[in-house]
Amino acid sequence: MERNPIRRQLAIMRQSLFDQGHVDEQFVQLEELQDDANPNFVEEVVTLYYRDSARIILNIEQALERKPFDFGKLDAYMHQFKGSSSSIGAKKVKAESTLFRECCKSGNGEGCMRSFQQLKKEYATLRKKFGAYFQLARQAGPVETASRPK
Amino acid sequence: MLEGKQNGQVFKLPKVILLATNITNVELEKAKAAGFADTVIMKPMRASMAAACLQQVLGIGKKRQAGKNMLNGSMALQGLLCGKKILVVDDNMVHQRVVAGALKKFEVAVECRESGKAALKLLQRPYCFDAYFMDIQMPEMNGFEATHPIRMMESKANKQMNGGMDEDSGRKGEWHVPILAMTADVIHATYDALNAGWMDVSKPFEEAKLYQVVAEFFKSTRSNCFT
Repeated sequence: MERNPIRRQLAIMRQSLFDQGHVDEQFVQLEELQDDANPNFVEEVVTLYYRDSARIILNIEQALERKPFDFGKLDAYMHQFKGSSSSIGAKKVKAESTLFRECCKSGNGEGCMRSFQQLKKEYATLRKKFGAYFQLARQAGPVETASRPK
Repeated sequence: MLEGKQNGQVFKLPKVILLATNITNVELEKAKAAGFADTVIMKPMRASMAAACLQQVLGIGKKRQAGKNMLNGSMALQGLLCGKKILVVDDNMVHQRVVAGALKKFEVAVECRESGKAALKLLQRPYCFDAYFMDIQMPEMNGFEATHPIRMMESKANKQMNGGMDEDSGRKGEWHVPILAMTADVIHATYDALNAGWMDVSKPFEEAKLYQVVAEFFKSTRSNCFT
């Protein structure tokens, strides 16, 4: 149990990310890659994710404005987005991506729109949570992590 | 590192590790026939998986006991992988970053490229990579298409090494580049695929299973001395 109140709060925040299903075990993989040599690895990758995926979200939005829908293109965009989301362990976002792709495959335009709205919600929620989490993490300072023996 | 000599020149044939988010049975069959892939890794790649698979394709530490926990073996692994040069080819920047991060943890020198085309450009220069981690599904040129030239090079080198003899009959200069294909979806790999040089690792990653599968693979192929 963390004595330091900030660390304790951080641990609670982290746990809730898992408990609420926002992140999965892939997120743990990212954490394991963080060490003295790469003290901010997780935040860096998550930041990269939001920067990279913002572009894809925009592409999808624009594509959804053009009728009839180009389901092939939409699916391709979402494939990219899902890959990125999966890489950082963004569980809910990834699940919504899968639903979207299923709608694309069955040519369900309405389904795509609904799914995309939901996806954007989850994406934004997670972004807020990550923002708060990393801000607190920076306050907490570097943690003594078990580093891999050299 | 695989090496071969032809007219006094030393070839260094890298191992190719394919990454895939999705592979259909058709693609799998294609890959089998072409002998592309030996190993399949699920995306997103886990750090432990990256090192374990790299270790296996580079033939490092083959003498370890069956069932030995690989993560605990990562201490020795780190030293052994140190200095290896890996090319990561993945059009997904985030995943590329994760893979690079995983490999760097084992002090592997990592280069990244976003496309098969860009990766092949590196092949043409006297770049020497010990392995390629390659995404199967990329827009312009997929992983199979990108590894094809590597296979061609290998096949050519084999033929030349054997003085024009049939590759199958000649036991010398028989380079076989193990390929790890990564996929996020379940692949229906069979033991036929394994014998053909494919290995299937499905999520979640099970070390013991991986080791067993890899051990079988190495038993069935000619063992090469890699340095």
